[in-house]
Amino acid sequence: MTETGPSSNAAKWVRSASGKDIPLDADGFLINIDDWDEEATRALAQADGVKELTEAQWAVIRFLRAFYLDQGKAPLNHKLKAGTGLSMMELETMFPGGIKNTAPRWAGLPNSRGCR
Amino acid sequence: MTASPLIYLDNAATTFPKPRDILTEMVEIYAERGVSPGRGGYDLSVEADELVFEVRRQTARFFGSRLAEKVIFASNATDALNLVLQGLLESGDHVVSSRLEHNSVLRPLHHLVRKGMIDLDLVSFDGQGFIDPDEVARAIRPRTRCVVLTQASNVLGTIQPVAEVGRICQERGAPLIVDAAQSAGNVPMDMTAWGISAVAFTGHKSLMAPAGIGGLVLSPDLEVRPTRFGGTGVDSLSLEHTSSYPHRLEAGTINLLGVIGLGAALRRLEREEVRDAFRLEMELTRRLRDGLADIDRVRLYAADHLDDRHLALLTFNIHDLDPSIVGDILDGDFNIACRVGLHCAPLVHESLGTSPLGGVRFSLGPFNTEEQIDAALAAVAHIARWASSA
Repeated sequence: MTETGPSSNAAKWVRSASGKDIPLDADGFLINIDDWDEEATRALAQADGVKELTEAQWAVIRFLRAFYLDQGKAPLNHKLKAGTGLSMMELETMFPGGIKNTAPRWAGLPNSRGCR
Repeated sequence: MTASPLIYLDNAATTFPKPRDILTEMVEIYAERGVSPGRGGYDLSVEADELVFEVRRQTARFFGSRLAEKVIFASNATDALNLVLQGLLESGDHVVSSRLEHNSVLRPLHHLVRKGMIDLDLVSFDGQGFIDPDEVARAIRPRTRCVVLTQASNVLGTIQPVAEVGRICQERGAPLIVDAAQSAGNVPMDMTAWGISAVAFTGHKSLMAPAGIGGLVLSPDLEVRPTRFGGTGVDSLSLEHTSSYPHRLEAGTINLLGVIGLGAALRRLEREEVRDAFRLEMELTRRLRDGLADIDRVRLYAADHLDDRHLALLTFNIHDLDPSIVGDILDGDFNIACRVGLHCAPLVHESLGTSPLGGVRFSLGPFNTEEQIDAALAAVAHIARWASSA
């Protein structure tokens, strides 16, 4: 079972299946991207109410992770589509709250706060 | 699949593309005369200073001011608003503004409220996105130091009755400061006739100048303290900052390249076909409004009357769909660029009931076509159908 809660030096945290507490910022992103592993993704998804990720979701998570490690940034929309072979509509449907609101967070990418 | 050509509907953020003739003129003149204006006695420096002063004259004429010396160049409207608000307000002052304002007004004022310096009253707007001048009149107190009002909402596109508010402000002795960031270039301004004490503007929106140049135009009787200090090329022996305008409010070398662009942009606006372009933008906006209104689950805001009190922009939502998702789909699947979210105007969305997610804004420019509007409508209809089936 995944636990989340406040922490003294982080906005909140998530506990992975192996019992590791991972600090998160106020928006639920990993504070240290090196804390990421697939267990972290599972824990973050469970905290969002998703018990098990589909293979299609894992493919997107792995693409985001690989792209970030290679390029140092999240992919633009057209790179995301080209890299996954999916339309934005398909990607939006695949993740609760939409692709941008969820997948980068589950993939352990840094929080890129866009201007609203 | 071949990507379709970009449909740019984010002209309220910045117009794009900029006219090639303006960019060409900037490069050519800057290549020939890009020296420090007025800082040296050599001919080229004097010529550059004359060029800058001519753009001050153009700017003064454009906004209906008679005093080129009180045209202050700044980076943008936000910079100009900070200049005037921080240089005008003092401890104990009261300010009247509105819930339609952009953060360029709200944040500098909120900063002064938080410091305990000023009291602030914000007037509301009606269901069609207009403030009531009588409400402004009722909010003015004996210690009201100024009224700050946008000429046009960047979220709703509604053009505010600044002339009427100007008359009230003159009667009550409270200077009116107008944020013309969104309106300059599309909406006329006559600050002398309308009793406006200061206008803050930016070049990169409907004026079609590049980003990085804007300014503040002050009426002859409004005095603003300098809040930035440094070299002006004038009275260099004195350690006191120059007291005469425009140098009083300009510290350091100005953005000559941007000033050249602003001058070219203001000259371009004098051409008849350019003035006609806004009428065409409004025709397309009405087509867009009618099309959006026909799509199930689309909700438009303050778009009932697209007359001469409205800019060429519309804000809407598709039922309860997060506007950021709509924006990503428009960009990724339809190659349509638009602005989603709160548009840096949080109180507008709070009043509309669309906070914290905001809305989707389509803002048109002179290069948009009927085909593009129809394509945008088809895209929104497609997303609305997808949302209803998801």
